Amino acid sequence: MKRFSFHLILGLTMVLLLGGIAHAGEWEDIKKQARGQTVYFNAWGGSQPINDYIQWAANEVKNDYGVKVIHVKAIDIAGVVSRIMVEKSAGKNEGGSVDLMWINGENFKNMKSNALLYGPFSQKLPHYALVDVENKQTTVFDFTVPVDNMESPWGMAQLVFMYDSQRLDHPPKNMTGLLEFAKKNPGRFTYPGIPGFHGTTFIKQAMLELCADPDALSRPVDEQAFDDLTRPLWDYLDALHPLMWRKGKAFPESASKMIPLLNDNEIFISLSFNPNEAANAIANSELPESVRTYVHESGTIGNSHFVAIPFNASAKAGAMVFANFLLSPNAQARKSDPKVWGDPTVLGMDKLSPAQKTLFDAIETPEATLPAKALAKVLPEPHVSWVTALEKAWLDRYHQ
Amino acid sequence: MTNNLKSGKLSIFPLFIWISFGITILAGAAGVILPSLDFFPAAGQTRLSFDPWITLFKSPGLVQSILVTLFTGLAATFCSLCLTLLFVSLFYRSPVWQWFEKLLAPILSIPHAAFAIGFSFLIAPSGWIMRLLSPHVTAFEVPPDWVLVNDPFGITLTLAMIMKEFPFLIMVTLSAASRLRIEPTLHVGQSMGYQKEQVWFKVLVPRLYPHLRLSVYAIIAYSLSVVDMALILGPSSPPTFAVYILKWFNDPSISYKLVAAAGSTLLFAMVAGTIFMVHMIEKLAGYAARRWIVNGTRRSPLSRIKFPLSGAIITLIACTGLSTLILVVWSFTLKWRFPEALPTAWSAKFWYRGLADMQDPLVMTLLTGACATLISMVMVIGCLEHDALQKQIRRMDSVFYTFIYIPLLIPQISFMAGVQLLLVIFNLDGMWISLVWSHILYILPYLFITLKATYLDFDPRVYNQAALLGKSRYRAFFGVKLPMLLRPILFSAAIGFSVSVAQYIPTMLVGSGRFFTITTEVVSLAAGSDRRAVAVYALIQQCLPMVIYGLAILLPKAIYYNKKGMH
Repeated sequence: MKRFSFHLILGLTMVLLLGGIAHAGEWEDIKKQARGQTVYFNAWGGSQPINDYIQWAANEVKNDYGVKVIHVKAIDIAGVVSRIMVEKSAGKNEGGSVDLMWINGENFKNMKSNALLYGPFSQKLPHYALVDVENKQTTVFDFTVPVDNMESPWGMAQLVFMYDSQRLDHPPKNMTGLLEFAKKNPGRFTYPGIPGFHGTTFIKQAMLELCADPDALSRPVDEQAFDDLTRPLWDYLDALHPLMWRKGKAFPESASKMIPLLNDNEIFISLSFNPNEAANAIANSELPESVRTYVHESGTIGNSHFVAIPFNASAKAGAMVFANFLLSPNAQARKSDPKVWGDPTVLGMDKLSPAQKTLFDAIETPEATLPAKALAKVLPEPHVSWVTALEKAWLDRYHQ
Repeated sequence: MTNNLKSGKLSIFPLFIWISFGITILAGAAGVILPSLDFFPAAGQTRLSFDPWITLFKSPGLVQSILVTLFTGLAATFCSLCLTLLFVSLFYRSPVWQWFEKLLAPILSIPHAAFAIGFSFLIAPSGWIMRLLSPHVTAFEVPPDWVLVNDPFGITLTLAMIMKEFPFLIMVTLSAASRLRIEPTLHVGQSMGYQKEQVWFKVLVPRLYPHLRLSVYAIIAYSLSVVDMALILGPSSPPTFAVYILKWFNDPSISYKLVAAAGSTLLFAMVAGTIFMVHMIEKLAGYAARRWIVNGTRRSPLSRIKFPLSGAIITLIACTGLSTLILVVWSFTLKWRFPEALPTAWSAKFWYRGLADMQDPLVMTLLTGACATLISMVMVIGCLEHDALQKQIRRMDSVFYTFIYIPLLIPQISFMAGVQLLLVIFNLDGMWISLVWSHILYILPYLFITLKATYLDFDPRVYNQAALLGKSRYRAFFGVKLPMLLRPILFSAAIGFSVSVAQYIPTMLVGSGRFFTITTEVVSLAAGSDRRAVAVYALIQQCLPMVIYGLAILLPKAIYYNKKGMH
């Protein structure tokens, strides 16, 4: 028995060791292949702080791994998906124009279901082991779609609201409170137009708060029940819109466009997907020091954003090396600093070495940001089918 | 004999354009029409159906979107044309006119997107005008909730388009002026007792309009399918049709890409239909005006609007100027909140940053613009020379001239997606040469619009004289004709160059995102929130064509400083 267990342990150790060696060996091969490659990283390019961060990361991997990363500044990642689709239509199965892309949600679902992605690959990245997959569920389910290692987590997002504390003493605590605010301050709230990503999130948040049966949202849309379930939402929006900025006849193009509006007091309450957006915008002098962040009592929708490699990428090894670097504690800590970008990390603090952890502890939390405790209540995204259904219904009602 | 021989050789130019444009347009058209019929192999759609069309017609707000598009497009074109005709007939050669002529090049060189950004910074409820007036005049501590930008009727968008298109029509008028024999006509008319304005409208406008026609059609096509200006200034819910199409195209779900293709086909039909309708109106108007032209009335009521018209023109120019000035102010801003009249903290850091970032894109923009303009110019001069030599025998048919304008008529995003597919199939995507070619598609028509009249008007006797004096045809062409046409050629090249600078969609799609120009940087940053950085980039985008226009005006003066007649 003893002998048996000894052999078992020996055998297991061997397997683990060999597996580890094989794993490390594979990564060594990838690193070797990557050296000298050029990675075209297609990512939204609307923010100089984010562009600067990507440039910093590109310089780091150039020095450490000999991988050249070029940031292709996209205005909408769906346009990049279209380009990959055209390449697939034309039978271009290698030598594609995109090596790595910033992605999540519907775009990911589409690329995954149309076999436009390379992978699974994220499990091969050494730093992936540090990702907090246990507590940060959205790193493994992207808008309820299983990630299956087809994309590598990059950052966390949560719907937050921003307000100017000089204009407003007590921000609303829920959707009903928001309506009360709008009644007292007509024209001083808005949300981005549908089908923009942020606008849709606001609608989903309202739906989660107002719907009689929030559990129904975690299941695929039931067309028969849809009208009944969404009735409170439309009643709410019917009441809110006339009290909104431009009487709900015009909507900002995106959440970014609401920052100048908040700065100029065109609106008193704005929203963002980044809890540190206000802090970053203050550091960048885009918003006054008096801006603060808040979330609704019942919690707000959270999700993750990722990087993915298209099926026909020209520099897959280089893309993996860059994706791995983006997951490194050093890169993640820098990213989560509100002075740099303020994008929350995907890593688990309990998985880091003490030295790695100090990188995160060193980051100051400015007053404009919410403490981690306040952000603890994260609502899961509704089932992905709700996005299209809600967007369509919204457009039918308000787009004329 | 020699004429025929020469023009025979030159027919390579139109032939080349026929073939190359033909293939590209067919690819672009296929790339639009096939997906609109549900044919999209990448998503496994290979069965033909009308589903995308059905979804298109069921789209919420479609009718309103189409109506507002037609309204803004037609109103912008009609107002620009009326302003041009009134301005030329009331002010031609007056001090106001000469003043405007001097400002023309800088006004034309402002890219549409940069202008739209500046204009929105100016007139928004929290814009500069309101900041200057608040709180002292208006008593506003916070910006009023007025719909001044993104109004549902597209009035702001229309105004902005007029401000951009009216100077363009004036420029085309100027280049056609030499053919109209304006001064003698006015003398004769006035000596017969006709008021100047009456001579213009009865005699000169009917002769001028044919020269403006293609530009008017180009404006119709542009203003119906414009995306960048409409995104910044146009209505948002529902948006103009071209923006609607762009939203479908960028929608994550694939079925909407097919709807976008159907929408593009519809937009193309709208553009073609509108141009056809305008063409019919021209004919009707010509027919209806015939009696009026010869009815002998010599007095014109138009002289009464001279004052309001000059006011309107000065307002337009002032708005254009202020739109640029506000960009300059924002570009040096650090902090600036409503209702401060000027920034409360200034900084030059966005300029340092922008200029450092812009070096590579600047080189790429210059190189691409210069190559594309040069190649286009060689092709255009080749065609025009071919045409000029054919004069007596057979003028190039109007089919050719209609043909080369097609790229301007098809909505860019779907057309370029089709072209991109073709390039990917032949492994030419993401290559610089393909990028240059895609710019040529858009430069070439503008070169024809601006150069054709002057070029074909060149007095053949000068040319024949040179040949008679023992010069060969080549030497007469390169030594006499081209130098004499240097000024219009350079000016039209400047327009071609600024068209190239402004291209976003072809640069991104055909270049597979591999080439960064100033415009790709401006557009990507404009998607974000930072007005200061956007202002810097928009100004850099604006400077480049301005420098080129400056060169186009100054170079002939410098080269021919001792030859007065060549200025």
